Amino acid sequence: MNFHFVRVFATAALLALLGAGCQTVNTTETAQPAFQRNMVSEKRVITDASLARKVQILGVNVSDGPGGFLKVQAEVLNTTRRYQRFAYKWEWFDKDGNLVEGPSSVAVIRQVEGKESLFINGVAPNPSVRDFRLKLYENAR
Amino acid sequence: MNRPLVSTVLVVATAALLGGCASSQATYVDPASTRTLSNVGEINVQDWNMASESMINSLISKHINSGSLKGSGPDGRAILAISRIVNNTSIQIDTDILVKKIRVALLGTGKVVADITAGLGGPEDPLAAEAKREQQFLGTQKVAGRPDYTLSGKIIENRTRQGNQRESTYVFQMALATRDGLAVWEEEKTITKQGKRAPVGW
Repeated sequence: MNFHFVRVFATAALLALLGAGCQTVNTTETAQPAFQRNMVSEKRVITDASLARKVQILGVNVSDGPGGFLKVQAEVLNTTRRYQRFAYKWEWFDKDGNLVEGPSSVAVIRQVEGKESLFINGVAPNPSVRDFRLKLYENAR
Repeated sequence: MNRPLVSTVLVVATAALLGGCASSQATYVDPASTRTLSNVGEINVQDWNMASESMINSLISKHINSGSLKGSGPDGRAILAISRIVNNTSIQIDTDILVKKIRVALLGTGKVVADITAGLGGPEDPLAAEAKREQQFLGTQKVAGRPDYTLSGKIIENRTRQGNQRESTYVFQMALATRDGLAVWEEEKTITKQGKRAPVGW
């Protein structure tokens, strides 16, 4: 048997196997969006480099409604070509930095396809909330 | 084999068996985390958490934060009563797991109060209902009247199977209606779980 043929066939089979678990996403959007996001400068504390390599926060923007509740939106990107599961949790703080707890401060599981970006939204539990923290967790079921 | 050796082996084996029995110690986990157990055929703690989080966020951002909430209660707060939450699943569930979380969150906003004297199956707090009736009869104190809003909902289940792969979908539907019977807020949250069926089992 031709050795070159075997090598080419084995490489092709390996690439096909590697690509079998991948389903990536291509995205299209308007070049000049009709909205303007109020982006906030954030400080990122990364304790898990492995998770940070897979799921990355692209930006965070905030807004206030007439009711005075802080609304936060974060754009998350799966930097890998593989389907990823992660969980997130919002923590809310009042003007004195005290944690405001509530039934909505729970870990929420999300799935994201390869190279896909998605938005995660959070709304403050009451109008006294002035600040927030977003936590991402790896290996969510 | 000599007798002392056999006795020693028996003692060690008994100790090991008893040790195994004592090892079923419970571990505490944070119910708000992803460490709780979940399976395909049931609505687990994580599902209730995610459904309530979605409902609370939607209700606050779409109705309360937009300034649409109108109330006749104390300090202009809206009075909320809980209507029927239909369980259309094959499992027995207490819908209060969901409703209570929503009520706690709404009360926490400072914009809503819950009326626990009005309910389909009778008042949640009979003593409070009695006291309210007394106040209304005597007219000594201004008593909140009818609720401004009622919260109703339905939980629907859909199961499917392909090979040994099983899938359960739970749809949580909720609506907030005014005194006029108009729905001013509606939301639906769908949670789908997949899992493999055990190779041997009942």
